[in-house]
Amino acid sequence: MSDVLLEIKDLHAGIEGREILQGVDLCIRRGEVHAIMGPNGAGKSTLSAVLAGRPDYKVSSGTVVYDGRDLLAMAPEERSWAGIFLSFQYPVEIPGVSITNFMKAALNARRKAAGEPELKPAEFLKLLKEKMAFVQMKGEFAKREVNVGFSGGEKKRNEIFQMAMLEPVLSILDETDSGLDVDALRIVADGVNRLRSPQTSAIVITHYQRLLEYIVPDVVHVLKNGRIVATGGAELVQQIETEGYDSISG
Amino acid sequence: MDSVYVIGRDAVPSLLRLGAGEALRMTLVVPEGESCKLSLEVDLDGPGASLDLAGASLSSGSEQVDINVVVRHNVPGCRSEQLFKSVAGGSSRVAFDGLVYVARDAVRTVAHQQNHSLLLSESAVAESRPQLEIYADDVECSHGATTGYLNPEELFYMRSRGIPEEVARQMQIEAFLAPVMQRAGFENQDTL
Repeated sequence: MSDVLLEIKDLHAGIEGREILQGVDLCIRRGEVHAIMGPNGAGKSTLSAVLAGRPDYKVSSGTVVYDGRDLLAMAPEERSWAGIFLSFQYPVEIPGVSITNFMKAALNARRKAAGEPELKPAEFLKLLKEKMAFVQMKGEFAKREVNVGFSGGEKKRNEIFQMAMLEPVLSILDETDSGLDVDALRIVADGVNRLRSPQTSAIVITHYQRLLEYIVPDVVHVLKNGRIVATGGAELVQQIETEGYDSISG
Repeated sequence: MDSVYVIGRDAVPSLLRLGAGEALRMTLVVPEGESCKLSLEVDLDGPGASLDLAGASLSSGSEQVDINVVVRHNVPGCRSEQLFKSVAGGSSRVAFDGLVYVARDAVRTVAHQQNHSLLLSESAVAESRPQLEIYADDVECSHGATTGYLNPEELFYMRSRGIPEEVARQMQIEAFLAPVMQRAGFENQDTL
């Protein structure tokens, strides 16, 4: 098992004929947390969309190798089965589908793909309760329709709840801090930190340094105009905080 | 009275009369593969009569589903609720015609009618013709109709959690029809 989990080489991608990523290179090893910071419009969300396999985003050139596999050839559900999880910046409402049924379908689809039997109801229920406690969700939560009528904080906690249920190898947190108050931010960050392990990695995408006070990254990248223009450690976060993105040339 | 009619299995009455204080809860289900021409007229003939009517249809081939409902509020103080939901795929065609008639004397009528359609293919067609004909003052009447496709954002969200595209589509279709199917006793399996 190589210690490189994800390797992106010269990735060009965009939407509706507009090229947004213009040659992204990124290498993430197992156990590392990488922060990707950048101003609005830099391509942060495009990168997360391409990694998760959003059908409306098109890759024009470049390669992405995940755990030795050609990620770009995999359907979104296959990426999930392989351990990729995207925490959405704007979690989607699914009217008429309860959290319980949603998670049951997700877990059982993955088990089926792996040739394993479906979870027994009692096993599923135990797991559900354990992970709900993880993000401080109460019993009624499981019966609610996915994200319907959720507050901003509840939606983001629901993302982390799903992450805990699916136990991903590579988590991509797309602006998970946006629209969160300090309490919700802490619950979300605690959840993410407790899922850190030497085998799992995370990409934390954010505009602000606030989240990085709670989730401390190993490596920090600055994405600007569709390219990574700087890579470093915590000092880069400080520089952005005091001098802004303009101080980093790209 | 609570009744469920599955088209192809049950004969649906074409004319019903509800007298004073009578309440009817009726659910029509048009299963996949069934073409039909349904015509139902309901007369609310006694004060306080109440109709709660719902229907669901699922078609995926070349079915033709025609549903024609006339509800007549002939006397004061009656109530009618209608909810029709259709899922149409393939080259199927679903048409809903719904008339709510409120006679001149039928004051304090409450009548609501909803018709929503979900299209699964470009060549499926859903037509909706809700009509209100109101001759009385002091009534509460409304109708609404929507037609749409499966939401690609929802599909991607579900797939990103490992739910295969076909299963995700099926879940969305079931969720759409659930408000009617649950009345008919076709429960969505939910262990909590």
